[in-house]
Amino acid sequence: MVNVSIHNLTFSYPQQAQPVLNAVNANFPAGQFSLLTGVSGGGKSTLLKLVAGLLPTDAMTVTFNGQSLAQIPATQRSQTVAMLFQEPSTQFTMDTVANELQFALENQQVPADEISQRVTAALDFIGIAPLRDRKLMHLSGGEQQKVALAIIVAMDSAVILLDEPFASIDPATRLVLLQRLAQLSRERGKTVILADHDLSGYTDYVDRLTVLADGRLSHLSPEATQERLANFAPARLRLQHVTVPGDNQPALLQGTQLSLATNGRTLIAPQDLGLFAHHTTLITGPNGSGKSTLFRSLVKLGHYEGVITYDGTDIHRLKRRPYARQVALMFQSAATQFLNVTVDEELALSLKNSYADHFTTTMVTHLLTELNLADRREQIIYTLSSGQQKKLQLLCMLIMAPDVLLLDEPFKGLDYESIQTVIQILKRVQRELNLTYILVSHQLSGLDTFIDYHLQLADQHLTYLGVSA
Amino acid sequence: MNPSLKLALLVLVALEISFTHVWTVNIALIVVSLILMVWSHVAFKRLVMLTLIPVFFGGALVWSLTLRGTASTHFLLVIFTRMVAYVYMGGWFAQTTNPLTLTRSLEQNAKLPSKFAYGFLAAFNLMPKIQAEVATIKAAALMRGQVLHFWSPQLYFKVILAAMNWSDQLASAMTSHGFVEDAPRTHASEIPLITRDWVLLVGSLALVQIGLFVGLP
Repeated sequence: MVNVSIHNLTFSYPQQAQPVLNAVNANFPAGQFSLLTGVSGGGKSTLLKLVAGLLPTDAMTVTFNGQSLAQIPATQRSQTVAMLFQEPSTQFTMDTVANELQFALENQQVPADEISQRVTAALDFIGIAPLRDRKLMHLSGGEQQKVALAIIVAMDSAVILLDEPFASIDPATRLVLLQRLAQLSRERGKTVILADHDLSGYTDYVDRLTVLADGRLSHLSPEATQERLANFAPARLRLQHVTVPGDNQPALLQGTQLSLATNGRTLIAPQDLGLFAHHTTLITGPNGSGKSTLFRSLVKLGHYEGVITYDGTDIHRLKRRPYARQVALMFQSAATQFLNVTVDEELALSLKNSYADHFTTTMVTHLLTELNLADRREQIIYTLSSGQQKKLQLLCMLIMAPDVLLLDEPFKGLDYESIQTVIQILKRVQRELNLTYILVSHQLSGLDTFIDYHLQLADQHLTYLGVSA
Repeated sequence: MNPSLKLALLVLVALEISFTHVWTVNIALIVVSLILMVWSHVAFKRLVMLTLIPVFFGGALVWSLTLRGTASTHFLLVIFTRMVAYVYMGGWFAQTTNPLTLTRSLEQNAKLPSKFAYGFLAAFNLMPKIQAEVATIKAAALMRGQVLHFWSPQLYFKVILAAMNWSDQLASAMTSHGFVEDAPRTHASEIPLITRDWVLLVGSLALVQIGLFVGLP
């Protein structure tokens, strides 16, 4: 049983004036399951990395049962603390599940003849024995996270840190992982600290909620924790203006017997699906249910079964280059879409290649002012905050003016004011250029007057919600 | 054969035939590599590829040298067979060696620092992810009206950025999985280094020496 204490921890990244963590003091008691929450970009990941020893700290600011990580021999640190990361696929060194577990145990200098049996025990505990000899790169994100937890179980680490581990996995896997984590803290005395900004579904599992706000930590009492968790409802969508499209309305993008799967797991069972021109369609559904995969299929980047047609032609028969003019995707990760170094260069590229003779440099300057980016024109894109990158990405894609713009989480990391501005701009451009928008978003506030159709993805099926037109 | 010794044999023989002009030895190496590959059930399609590529480039080289008219037939023959021999020996090594076994052997038998051994392996296992990333970057650029070809510097700039990000994540994950640079590790899978491996290495090298000596003009 290991108790984690944080004394007066201050941390700032180079080139940033404001410290991310400011004189944080906290105690995470042994054998408890703590949930760490706070806004995205608020320093949760930084705090976990500091505790895990992946970022440098001053001596004695983070201690495990009174000992700092530096005082523990390097080869025994993984027995003290281990971390499970947000991105499932980049946390493995070896090729197969068994080899990765073996690698971790060899690092801990576990005697060679004990390794096989510890690997088996860990896989059985998580319930993934059949995955033993599978290649890690062929597993789904959820399976990879299960393997990552099995490694920590095999290493028998006393403190388990998890950084938004459920960001890209399906609800069923999330439930299994939560049950195992609760079991690890209750039955095996592990100290679990899990960071997440979405508090739904934790009521039965966590002992305590810790809030990180403005660089400071505060613990809630067990009663306050339960109250906060019970009252947390995922932002409910109040869309009063959505309608169900009419049966004979012609679709611009039409899927026929369309089905999607990832690594053998069905995401969407075969169904017909129409998406309609000059409207805004919102797609909602749980994490990992297949929304981004659907978008990738619509732009010919993913595998699908069935037929997808655009304006009556099978998209398989359309050439990539002209098709990219018609249907373009604003990727969830903003950096994917940038090709240059500074903001101005990026905007100039979009203006040069735009499909519409609509945008002028004066208009772009005006839009930049609206988005609070006017004084950043010379700045290197990769030094912008994630919210600023997102706004710039949106502007670049809007200037391109494709007929259909797919937007994957366009409001991620934006504050409320920015979201309102972005929606105003989206609406204006749609009106002027008659564009079609299809978006996936977890952020739902302020969308009511923007959305025409609402598609819900649940139980491997997409359904239009709303009143009949 | 032990993977580290196999690699050493390959490098030594390749070096030797780079500096000697005995086409009969090259032919012998081609034949031996081919037999070893067929014996290890290398796919027929692979073998065809491994033949066509050096024959094409070797042929082009021989043709251009012939046009210049100064090279002797013996030299052309040496150049051509040398190229095929390189590719066949490389093919034999790549097709019959598991990267994980090679890594373990380099760590255990050749005492290569584990940092290099496992760093290389982690990068190797990320290959499919890199391929997918290249496809995504190309598509994302197309949506900005920019066509990226495999020779476009922007494509490499983006891939390197992504790879740097992954390498940070991988390094963190390795640390979190208990990996410590230069620290001793146990080995649940021992890669044997037996007398037979040494006999094969020394014997093969000796045969090549004899061939070169006899064949030298």
